[in-house]
Amino acid sequence: MLRKLVLTTSTALALCLGITVPAMADPIKFRIVSKDFGPTNPDDVKHLQRIEEALKAQGTDLDIELVDLPSSGYADKLSVMLLSGDIPDLIYFQGGDAKMVEQGVLEDLGPMIADTTYLKDALWPHNVERLKNYPYLLYVYPVRGPQPVIRKDWLEKTGLKAPETVEDYVTLFKAIKDDDLDGNGVADTYGVTTADNTNELDSIFNQAFGITGTWMKNPAGEWVSARITSQEKDKIAFYASLRAQGLYDPEYITTKFDVKEDKFYTGKAGVIFGSSGEVIDIYGGKMRQVHPGTELVLLAPPKGPGGQGLSAVDVSKESRGFAISTTSEHKAEVMKLLDFMASPQGQMFDRLGFEGQEFTKEGDTYKVTDKIATWYARFMVAANWTPPVVWQSEAAQQSLATIQKDFKPDNTFVWPADYAADLDATENVYRSWVFKFISGAATLDQWDQYVAEWEAAGGTRLNDYARTVLDAKK
Amino acid sequence: MTDRQHVLTSSNVGNVPINATRRKAGRVSAFADGWRRWWPYYVMMAPGILFFLVFHYLPIWETRIAFEQVRIVPPNVWVGLKHFQVLFSSSVFWQVLANTLIISTMKMVFFLPVPIVVALLLNEVRGGSLRKFIQSAIYLPHFLSWVVIAGVFIAALSPADGAVNNLLGMAGIAPRSFMTDTGAIRWVLVFTEIWRSAGWDSLLYLAAIIAIDQQLYDAAEVDGANRWQKIWHVTLPGIIPTIATLFILNAGMFLNADLNQVINLSNDVVRSKIDIVDTYVYRIGLQTGEYSLATAAGLFKAVLGTMMIVVAHFISKRLTGKGVW
Repeated sequence: MLRKLVLTTSTALALCLGITVPAMADPIKFRIVSKDFGPTNPDDVKHLQRIEEALKAQGTDLDIELVDLPSSGYADKLSVMLLSGDIPDLIYFQGGDAKMVEQGVLEDLGPMIADTTYLKDALWPHNVERLKNYPYLLYVYPVRGPQPVIRKDWLEKTGLKAPETVEDYVTLFKAIKDDDLDGNGVADTYGVTTADNTNELDSIFNQAFGITGTWMKNPAGEWVSARITSQEKDKIAFYASLRAQGLYDPEYITTKFDVKEDKFYTGKAGVIFGSSGEVIDIYGGKMRQVHPGTELVLLAPPKGPGGQGLSAVDVSKESRGFAISTTSEHKAEVMKLLDFMASPQGQMFDRLGFEGQEFTKEGDTYKVTDKIATWYARFMVAANWTPPVVWQSEAAQQSLATIQKDFKPDNTFVWPADYAADLDATENVYRSWVFKFISGAATLDQWDQYVAEWEAAGGTRLNDYARTVLDAKK
Repeated sequence: MTDRQHVLTSSNVGNVPINATRRKAGRVSAFADGWRRWWPYYVMMAPGILFFLVFHYLPIWETRIAFEQVRIVPPNVWVGLKHFQVLFSSSVFWQVLANTLIISTMKMVFFLPVPIVVALLLNEVRGGSLRKFIQSAIYLPHFLSWVVIAGVFIAALSPADGAVNNLLGMAGIAPRSFMTDTGAIRWVLVFTEIWRSAGWDSLLYLAAIIAIDQQLYDAAEVDGANRWQKIWHVTLPGIIPTIATLFILNAGMFLNADLNQVINLSNDVVRSKIDIVDTYVYRIGLQTGEYSLATAAGLFKAVLGTMMIVVAHFISKRLTGKGVW
C-alpha cells in the first residue's frame, strides 16, 4: 500500500514538474552596451525593468544585462572591449563599426527589420536610405543638421525681419555687430560664430551657393568633389568677406563647442547653430539662466544665387546607432526588444520617462514636469509616433519641421578602407586652405594652387573612384 | 680572492657537484633568512611588483598583434612584417615621426633646464612662507588637465582679446594668432609643457639639493665663496647624479610628445605640424580599427625609446660617470 502511494505520488509529482518546467523556464539572457544607458544610473535600471515586464506580459521573457561602459570616450572604450573578444548582443556604436562589418561581426538588419511589426514603420526617410546602403546600423532618430538661432529680443532690437536671403543674413550680421545689442558700449559682437570649422555655416549656405551634394558635375560633365568647384569658391569668398567685415568670428577654428555657446550667452556672437531641437532647447535654457525671459528664434536657410535649403544629408550610412552581433545566440529576441521600443507602449516609456517623475496624467491630459529636460530616449524616436504632450520650444519644433521639409539625400557613399589615407590628407588640405582664405592669409587668386594641392594629396584618386561609383548608379 | 675566482678554483679540482649543492643550499638559506628578517618589506613591495607585472610586462606579450591580422572573432592571422612594410611605405607615418622627433627634441632641449633652474632659485628663497607660496603656485598647473590648460591658453593667445597679444600690443607689436600659426604652434606646445610641468618636476631636484651635505656649504663659505659660486661649485655638482638619472629616464620617453596635449591644442590649420606618432596610433588604432597597424607603430616607437635609453645611458656614463645601471 505504502509502495503504491509512494509510486503514485512520485509519478504525479514528475508529471506536474514536466508540465510546469516549460512555464518556469529561465528567461532569455542577453547583453546591451550603449552610451548613457548603464547599470549605474537608477533611471536606466528602472527603465529596463519595466521594459522587461512589458515584454514578459506579451510572452517574451527576457533578462537583459546592461554593460557598464563609461560615456566619456565611449567609442574608444567600446573598441577596446570588442577587440578583447567581449561582444554583447546589442551594441551601440559611435564610429568604429566599419571594421566590425569588414570582419563579419555585425548582422545584416534588413531582413530582420522587414519582419517586425512596429519598427519597419517607425523609420525616418533617411533611415530607410541609410539602411539600403549599409544595413548594419540602426539609429531611429530625426536627422540632425545645424540650424541657426538668435535671441528673439536681439532680432526685435535690430528692427529687421527674419532673414530670407543671403543679403538679408549679411544685413542682420551687420546690425548685430554695429548696434551694440549687448549694451556694453563697444561694437564687439560678431554676427555669427561656429565651432572648429565652417561645417555649420555650410549647412545653410551650401544650397544657396549651388552646392547640392558632396559630388557635383564639372563643366566637362565629370563627377568631382564639390570642394574644388566654382560654387565652393564663391561660398568661401562669401565667408572671407564676412570675416573681413568683422561679421564672422575670426577665431572660429580654435572655438570649441562650449566656447561657442559661451560666446552666445555672453553676447560676443549673435547667431550660433544648434544641431537638433534638443540642442536648441538646451541653448534656450542656458540663455534664460543668464538673461531671464529670453526666447530663441530659429532662422531659415537663405535663398541665394544657387538655391535654398539645408545642405544635403549623408545617407551612405548611419554614423552611429545600434547593431546586433553575428555571435549573438538571441538575435530574434534582441529584435523583439527593438520592435517593442518602436511600439506605442515602448515609445511612451522611452520618450516620456516615468509617470509622476517626468510627466503627470490627469484623465487624458498629460503634463510634463521640469525633469523632462533631463530625460532622453535610450533607444529611439519613432517617426510615426506623436507624444500626447508637447514640451519642446517653438524654435526646436520648427527646426525639426524644417529639416524634414528640406531633406535631400546626398550622393556620398561608403569608402573602401584603402582610401582612408587619401580622405584624411585631402580633408587636412581643404580645412587648412579654407582657413587661409577666410583669414586673409591666402587670397582667392590662389584657388588653383589649393585645387592642385588637394588633388596631389589624393583628391585625384578620390575623384576617379567617385566616378566609378556614381556613374554605375545611373 | 673574489667569489668568482673561488668558484673557478673549486671547479678545477673536480668537486663541482658538492660546491654547487652547497651554494644552492646557501642561497636558499640566505633567502629564507632574508625573508624571515625582511618579510614585511617584501609584502609591502608585492603590490608594486604586481602592478608592473600586470600593466607593464604582461602587455608586452600582446604586442605580437603587430605581426598578426587581428580578428575580432579569433583566431588572428599571422602576417609577419606586413604592417611594418605598410607603415614604412606611408608618407604620413614619416611625417608624424618627423613631427614627433622635432617636438620631442624641442621639449627636451628647452624643458630640461627649466626645473633645475626653478629648483636652484627656490633653494635660494629664504623666507619660509614665501617659499611655500611659490612652491604651491608653481606645482598647481601640474594638477590641471590638458582640456583646461588648452582653454586657458587659447583664450590667453587670442589675437582679438588675449592677454599675450594685449601685452605685445602695448609694446607696439602687431597681434599674432599663435594657435593657427604653423611656425608658432610647436613653441606653444613647448611653452605649455613648461608651464604645466616645470614646477612639479623641480620637486625632485629640490629634494636632491636638500640632501647635499651642509658641511660642503660651510666649507665653501669659509673659503670665501659667494652665493653664485656655492651654486656653481657645490649645488650643481651635488645634483648631477639626479640630473643624469632623470635625463636618461626622460630619454626613454623621448618620443612621448604627449597625446592629450596635442589633441587639445590642435586645430585644422596646424594639424600637419603637430600630428605625432601617438595621435597617429590613436587615430588609426582606435578610430579606424586598424589595431595591428597601430600596434606596429607603437612597437616601433617603443624600440626607438629603448634605444634612446641605452644611448643616453652610455653618453651620461662617459660625461658624468653616472648611468642607470
